[in-house]
Amino acid sequence: MSNSADVRSILSLPSAAATPAPPQKKAALPSARKPDGISRELFSLIGPSSTTLVAQLAKPRLKQKPNLGAGSKIKWEWRAFKNGGRTDSLQLRHWVKASTDPDVEYPFAKYNVQRPTFTYTQEEYTLWLHDNEWTKEETDYLMAIVQEYDTRWYVIQDRYEYSGTVPRSMEDLKDRYCSVCRKLLRNRPWTGDESTKQVLLSSFAFDKEREVLRKRYVASLENRTPEQIAEEEALYMEIKRLEQNERRFKRDRDDLLRTIAGIESGLPDVVEDEVQLTGLTLDSKRSKKKGGGGGDLDSPSTPLIATPLPKRALPPPTLPKNSAYDLQHCITRTDIAGAAGAAASTKAAHQPAYLRSFKMPFPKSAIAPKVTQVLVELGVSPTRLVMPTQGNVALLEGLMDATAVLVETKKVVDKVEYDIQVLKNRLGMQSAAGAKTEEPDGGVDAMAMEVDGGDDADGDADGEGEDGRAQSVVSTRSARSRKHARRSLSISSVDTSATVSTRAGTKRQRRS
Amino acid sequence: MVNYGGDEVSALVIDIGTSSVRAGYAGDDAPKAVIPTTYGFHRAAPDADSAMPDAADPTRSGTGKFAKMYMGQYGPSVWREGMEVANPLTDGLVHDFEPVAALMRHAVVDVMRCNPTEHPILVTEPAWNTPANRERMAEIMFEEFQVPAFYIANTGVLNAFAAGKGSALVIDVGQTIASVTPIVDGFVLRKGLVYSSLPQLIHAHARHTLLNPTPQRRGGIDLYPHQLITNKMPVELGAPPRYTLREDRVKGTTESWRMWYEAREVDEWTQSVAGVLEQGWNDQAAASRPPRQYEFPTGYNAWFTSERYSVGEQFFWHSPQLMASNAGLPKTIPALISESLRACDPELRQVLVGNVVLTGGGSLFAGFGDRLSSELARSFPHVKIHSPGNPVERRYGGWLGGSVLASLGTFHQLWISKEEWAEHGKAIVGQRCK
Repeated sequence: MSNSADVRSILSLPSAAATPAPPQKKAALPSARKPDGISRELFSLIGPSSTTLVAQLAKPRLKQKPNLGAGSKIKWEWRAFKNGGRTDSLQLRHWVKASTDPDVEYPFAKYNVQRPTFTYTQEEYTLWLHDNEWTKEETDYLMAIVQEYDTRWYVIQDRYEYSGTVPRSMEDLKDRYCSVCRKLLRNRPWTGDESTKQVLLSSFAFDKEREVLRKRYVASLENRTPEQIAEEEALYMEIKRLEQNERRFKRDRDDLLRTIAGIESGLPDVVEDEVQLTGLTLDSKRSKKKGGGGGDLDSPSTPLIATPLPKRALPPPTLPKNSAYDLQHCITRTDIAGAAGAAASTKAAHQPAYLRSFKMPFPKSAIAPKVTQVLVELGVSPTRLVMPTQGNVALLEGLMDATAVLVETKKVVDKVEYDIQVLKNRLGMQSAAGAKTEEPDGGVDAMAMEVDGGDDADGDADGEGEDGRAQSVVSTRSARSRKHARRSLSISSVDTSATVSTRAGTKRQRRS
Repeated sequence: MVNYGGDEVSALVIDIGTSSVRAGYAGDDAPKAVIPTTYGFHRAAPDADSAMPDAADPTRSGTGKFAKMYMGQYGPSVWREGMEVANPLTDGLVHDFEPVAALMRHAVVDVMRCNPTEHPILVTEPAWNTPANRERMAEIMFEEFQVPAFYIANTGVLNAFAAGKGSALVIDVGQTIASVTPIVDGFVLRKGLVYSSLPQLIHAHARHTLLNPTPQRRGGIDLYPHQLITNKMPVELGAPPRYTLREDRVKGTTESWRMWYEAREVDEWTQSVAGVLEQGWNDQAAASRPPRQYEFPTGYNAWFTSERYSVGEQFFWHSPQLMASNAGLPKTIPALISESLRACDPELRQVLVGNVVLTGGGSLFAGFGDRLSSELARSFPHVKIHSPGNPVERRYGGWLGGSVLASLGTFHQLWISKEEWAEHGKAIVGQRCK
């Protein structure tokens, strides 16, 4: 027996007894158990301190087996049981744990649920349930078969065989059954509370016409030809595509307006505008959006809320009017209130900032070369205005309109002159032949019509030019100004309505 | 102890088909005993040779018209002198109950070693079974087998249950009958039930193909079973076979046994060689398929090319000439399906088409499932076909559904007990088994 104290004494080291700790340790030692896999001598030499060694030397153990059966054996018993769902005394046998109570009810008996049955007496039938279409016997049969097949109507209709009557459809059967139950419920004294009666009544509600109609819809849905189905699918895809385009366009426009107009001033108008656009283009989509709820990112608020906003928000900034200051700095103020008052819509209330050169008028594309030619003759460059102030633009516009009218008039005059020439020639030929006098009148009529036709053709060409417009901002601008130019011929109205229609036009074009 | 609603009461399930009788314990996934429904027998005659030499045979001394019956694995397929062969079923219905009772006894008592008086027994029936037939079956069960409880269930419903469906359109192709049964909530819609003897037409067509000469083949093919052949020599492909018959046996062979065995040879050829094109008939496609070799018991062997596909085509399409010449021609599978769906409520059709269950041994015909799905997809875009890839589940679908049903805890109140039978008599069968 040698421990660390002996070793110390052999090596004549200073005794550990100098400190009070060793005796304590010694006292603790016996309690520390010697681990397995280490010899007693070695353990007494190194003591319990070198834990790493101990851990390595410990015998490897297998993983503990899970104790599933909790150790105790379970006794099973082949036992006869009584099924509560059966009316006879049949006793089947099954394996159960011996510990279970043999008198407990069969666990599956509780699934044997019976519907409440409706029975009626002869008086009740004659009093409430009489129906010319149905005899009492057939009604009895119906009630029985419904009970038998537990209101599985497809099966009931399949198995319904009552001789001597008209063949009954499933709706006939359902209607009769539900009406009988309803009438019995309504007319009999009810012991329970009113709400349960109402619930029970509503469970027997059946609208035969609606059901028949629905069935007919289902049938027609099934009778579609493959072509119809293909067309329907194509249309659906198209709608999806259009919606996507719409959304993208709106987002782009939104972003653009936000950058140009600034977020606080532009937003309500953006919303308003978008609603108008959808209203113009796709009604169904609008309703769908509304139904979809306000969670959509693309429509931040519903139009109903947005409408009153500008009226409240706008008046203050328009108030300070200093005409002297304006004149000095060439500031022109547009009359917003007047514009908003226009029947068009509140949308017109806002006009985002734009460059004056955007407002430069352009001649109609059909007569553009001629107008340009006239302007060149006058020494005016139609494309480049050195200082496009409002006044200058208005002047140029007036000039261009006048030129356009001139060109148009010239065209008409040329045409009429030519026609007169032609007719004169013909008249000369006819008089030379010595013929009738009615012909020339007809010829004049034809001429007048021709003139009209020429105008129409002009208008068509104009429309085509508009349709053929590209999608860039520049072209939008040009279109707008062209519209502007045309409009000023007839009415000097607010340009806002023109912008609306132009935008709608571009929109329509994009979608097509 | 309530596991997935199951509660085993050691019930037995017996499924009787035209080709085989399946019997086993409810709750198992495959039947324990599968024996051929066809049985061999010696007619009872006053001067019949009653002492058969081999006592090891699983034979049974017949009563009544049979002197001796041979059933099971070593029953009809073993050659015996003067043994005749018969099948108690015609068009899926039992027409002769005496051998059926014997077959059931053989399966339950001799093969499964069970005592039928200890087990409730569930028997299957086709959807077009007659009330008289099911009552007779109940009578046999209670009076002869003394079962404690009995139930008779519809194979269509059971096939739907085996597929885990309560509502389904079950397409069951058996040995003699192909049927389409709409099932709703575990009930057969009788108005939508249609069936035809299409598999018999396929068999006849295959037989005709083998027995008649073709451009490649001068004569028909001899369909002698191997029991009648003493020896044969290997021959070249398509060369006439060289074999010698066992003359001693040929003399004692009955016509019924020979017909039955020839039919087996034809079926074997059909099962290993014939197929159906997945995308409809196309001469080029049929010709481009690789030919397949087959050797008959006589030693005759040949490559079979497009004729093996014309056999399967009969399942799905009949040529107008054939239809014109034969008014009573059984309907094709697509015709059966559309007729069945037409009889159902339009609202149900979508449900049924989305739950098509393909079952029956005949549906294992090569390419059948693919062809069916391509045929159905043409007219119904949302069709979904459940066809188990496991041939056991396909062949014994009806039995499997019965095994599921009879091990359900909620089912045990539906059994017709012996007591109820004694009390109500035959009427209880129609009342209980709807």
